[in-house]
Amino acid sequence: MSEKTKKSGLWSVFFTLVSILWVFPLVLVLVNSFKNKAYISRNAFSIPVGRAFVGLENYRRGIERTDLIASFGWTVLITVGSVLLILICTSMCAWWIVRVDNWAARTLYVLFLFNMVVPFQMVMFTLSKLADMLGLNTPWGLCLVYLGFGAGLAVFIFTGVIKGIPRELEESAMIDGASIPRTFFGIVVPIMRPSIVSVAILEAMWIWNDFLLPYLTLDMRRFKTMSIAIQYLKGGYGSVDMGAMMGCLVLAIIPIVIFYLICQKYIIKGVLAGAVKG
Amino acid sequence: MNHTITKGIGLLAALTLSVGALGACGSAQSADGGKTAAGKVFFLNFKPEAADQWKAIAEEYTKETGVKVDVQTAASNTYEQTLKSEMAKSQAPTLFQVNGPVGLASWKSYTADMSKSEVYRQLTNQDLALKSDDGQQVLGVPYAMETYGLIYNKDIMGKYMKLPDAKVKSVKEINSFDKLKAVADDIQQHKDELGVKGAFTSAGFDSSSDWRFKTHLANIPLYYELKEDKIATQPESVKGTYLPQFKQIFDLYLKDSTTDPKQLSSKTGDDANSEFALGEAALYQNGTWAWTDLEKAGMSKDQIGMMPIYIGAPGEKDQGLATGSENYWCINKKASKDDQRATEKFLAWMITSEKGKKAMSSDMGFTTPFKSFDDVKSDNPLVEEAVKDSKSGKTQVSWNFTMMPSEQWKNDLGNALLEYAQGTGSWDKVKSAFVDNWAKEYQVNRQA
Amino acid sequence: MVVRSIRRWWVLFTVPTVVAFIVGFIVPFLMGVWLSLCRFTTVTDARFIGLANYRAALADGEFWHALVYTVAFTIVTTVVVNVAGFAVAYMLTKAIRGANVFRSVFFMPNLIGGIVLGYIWLLLLNGVLSRWGRSITYSGMYGFWGMVLLYCWQQIGYMMIIYIAGLQALPGDVLEAASVDGANSRQRLMLITLPLMMPSITVCTFLTVTNGFKMFDQNLALTNGAPSNTSELLALNIYRTFYGRTGFEGVGQAKAVVFFVIVALIALIQNRLTTSKEVTA
Repeated sequence: MSEKTKKSGLWSVFFTLVSILWVFPLVLVLVNSFKNKAYISRNAFSIPVGRAFVGLENYRRGIERTDLIASFGWTVLITVGSVLLILICTSMCAWWIVRVDNWAARTLYVLFLFNMVVPFQMVMFTLSKLADMLGLNTPWGLCLVYLGFGAGLAVFIFTGVIKGIPRELEESAMIDGASIPRTFFGIVVPIMRPSIVSVAILEAMWIWNDFLLPYLTLDMRRFKTMSIAIQYLKGGYGSVDMGAMMGCLVLAIIPIVIFYLICQKYIIKGVLAGAVKG
Repeated sequence: MNHTITKGIGLLAALTLSVGALGACGSAQSADGGKTAAGKVFFLNFKPEAADQWKAIAEEYTKETGVKVDVQTAASNTYEQTLKSEMAKSQAPTLFQVNGPVGLASWKSYTADMSKSEVYRQLTNQDLALKSDDGQQVLGVPYAMETYGLIYNKDIMGKYMKLPDAKVKSVKEINSFDKLKAVADDIQQHKDELGVKGAFTSAGFDSSSDWRFKTHLANIPLYYELKEDKIATQPESVKGTYLPQFKQIFDLYLKDSTTDPKQLSSKTGDDANSEFALGEAALYQNGTWAWTDLEKAGMSKDQIGMMPIYIGAPGEKDQGLATGSENYWCINKKASKDDQRATEKFLAWMITSEKGKKAMSSDMGFTTPFKSFDDVKSDNPLVEEAVKDSKSGKTQVSWNFTMMPSEQWKNDLGNALLEYAQGTGSWDKVKSAFVDNWAKEYQVNRQA
Repeated sequence: MVVRSIRRWWVLFTVPTVVAFIVGFIVPFLMGVWLSLCRFTTVTDARFIGLANYRAALADGEFWHALVYTVAFTIVTTVVVNVAGFAVAYMLTKAIRGANVFRSVFFMPNLIGGIVLGYIWLLLLNGVLSRWGRSITYSGMYGFWGMVLLYCWQQIGYMMIIYIAGLQALPGDVLEAASVDGANSRQRLMLITLPLMMPSITVCTFLTVTNGFKMFDQNLALTNGAPSNTSELLALNIYRTFYGRTGFEGVGQAKAVVFFVIVALIALIQNRLTTSKEVTA
């Protein structure tokens, strides 16, 4: 017994050390974000004191140069809008596919499955061109694009869940006189709730961090997401301002960490739901 | 399963048609929606270092006239690809730029005639403009003459020249590669006494810095070769006559440097800038546009000067700084008439109004080729050096990199130079990137 | 009866998704296949040229380099990520104090986007390498191991979560019985736990393979292919061919089709291996 506790204690020490190593890159960025930019590329491991310490200057310059606050807003808008749209539309579509189950439904399902294996590079040019022609180069339009390109995974997960819901529940509601939409939103959606949360998390993680799709699609004069803004710091001004870059990196990481601390349980569930992705 | 797929494809085909129809509606609508009587301006800016300044002056113009001016800046080394993707969009730039005759060739179908524009009329020398093959139309108007060379720190040079065994007693004495090398080697040797880390700033090959070598430095041997062969337009191939001299100067940059060549791949333009501004290096290859960043980093006007880049070519004691333009304004012919007119007006305002002139000359550091700027005196010390140099009777080195066959040619050369610098590639690769690739890229672009 | 009344609601239930799906996927996909057979700079000036783009793509040495580089990257990361992920999961499901905290820490990098991750590691790796006077873009090999490190840091936590769930779902009585029969912990792991975990292992393996194969953002931010495009993964090679050179759009699109075929093949193999009932309709 005591042998076992001792061993477990050793493992705890080991994992503590590994954990410290694990968060080290993030701490390093945080430390460097207070350093004068000239000192960052010289020695990334020095402590910002004296001449090297610039306080919040990097944050100020980073925000100013990239318009990071606005980018944050657009990223939130695009992520929330797309996720809501995906949840509502694909859950309805998935229910229709499972319950109707005729040739059209089955074809649609196969196409959605197909969507899941196509890498973005395959459609990057044609999709962004089409989106521009249709005037979808705004954050609102982008939500539609995400619904289109990201539908596959959501439909796939939702159909799996709906197949497990006994149709008797719905039938009895309908016999009681409930309309189809009412049946769906009143009966089916509450049962699907856990999977809806999982899909929301999965899609949000993807859309929040996505770079190439918004980069090629959005009208860059007016809208940038956070990833685009950060990438733009590199070379966008003829030089790479490592100070502003560090500030922006920290500001990009903070909301994610907060979100993670609050919703950890759901995030892990989402990841597990996503693991069925084929 | 097979059955469903066949049916699926049929369904798809039908749906595709319907979307095609939808798309047609959508684009027609957006074209109408954007039109306002006054027109608007959308400038795709080539110079990232002037991005903030363009934005500011655009806002100023909008405040004054109510005409909307958008400025978007392409990141370093990405102008061609950004222009390509922006031109494909429904709201394409109304104002863009080409880097010279070679750049113009690929955008000919987009360039409107500017022969009646104010900017063309104001040119001090109208031969500088890019014209159509028949000479009837003006397709591009240069807006910035720029100059580059070796920027030096007067304080450090002064300190060096006070050393008892200094190779020169005045910067003026440096008028050949041999002198330059002697001085640079000597500074490197006395670096601790002088308090520097090296004679030259790091020759960084990050994309924010590699153009200083693959384009600007490579221009010097190219200039001598074309001059010797009396070639004035883009040749099908080059011989690389002065590549040994190119190697000489590049070796010097690498040897007498602040930085281990193995680290150059990630060194940025910002790194070189701060090394120079912090007084860690005496010499810095860059041009008039660098002043803004140097000033921001804390340098004062009387601290810096600029001298020609000597590579060891014949007759170089009369060689001046490298002056030219790779910045030609072009108006997009495919933009609406209103937008084209608004763009012309904006350009006229930029070169005639006090605010526009100030922005271009002092904020962006351009020497402009326009008559309207005669009364403007620049407070950019590097521009002053350039003006002094042009009046000194020396022969200015022209900007022949506007003839380089493609962006790919420059990138390949840059890669070869970096590999050579860090010791992972040989100089032969640089030679082949310079000579063989020229002919190859010339042909590829001919076809395209 | 019920089915028929649901079917009648197709406009509300399916049209929004289907229209977006057509615009956001079906049409771009078909156009992409078509354009790979054309010479074009924009959609309107496409001219059919047959398989010339594919020939040009396959004759491009850098494309082959990127392909080999990507395959090597995928193999190395798949092995490392899964072995490490499984090992961590295995240990953390035992009674270790603070297991929950460790789990949270290991998983966190997964939420950070590729561009941000790339720049974080650029700082760290260049900081470390500067001690030896090198930098991450010194050669393709440096970039390779840099990306391996970055990717492992990002993915180990993700796979760990899946393995933990798998381990927790193992039937306790089997392990118990084995333990009573005198099997030591090593035997239990090799003979019972591992075989029972095969479904999780397959899922994780394929997740790492496909994600590794498609990696783009991290590559763009960390090395952008430097030096001389030797640290370039397939996705970046396609992007650069497409947007980097005028006149090479068709070749880029052809490369994208080849890329798609490879990714689809991987998915198909996985489909065969996992005996999921869900997969075909």
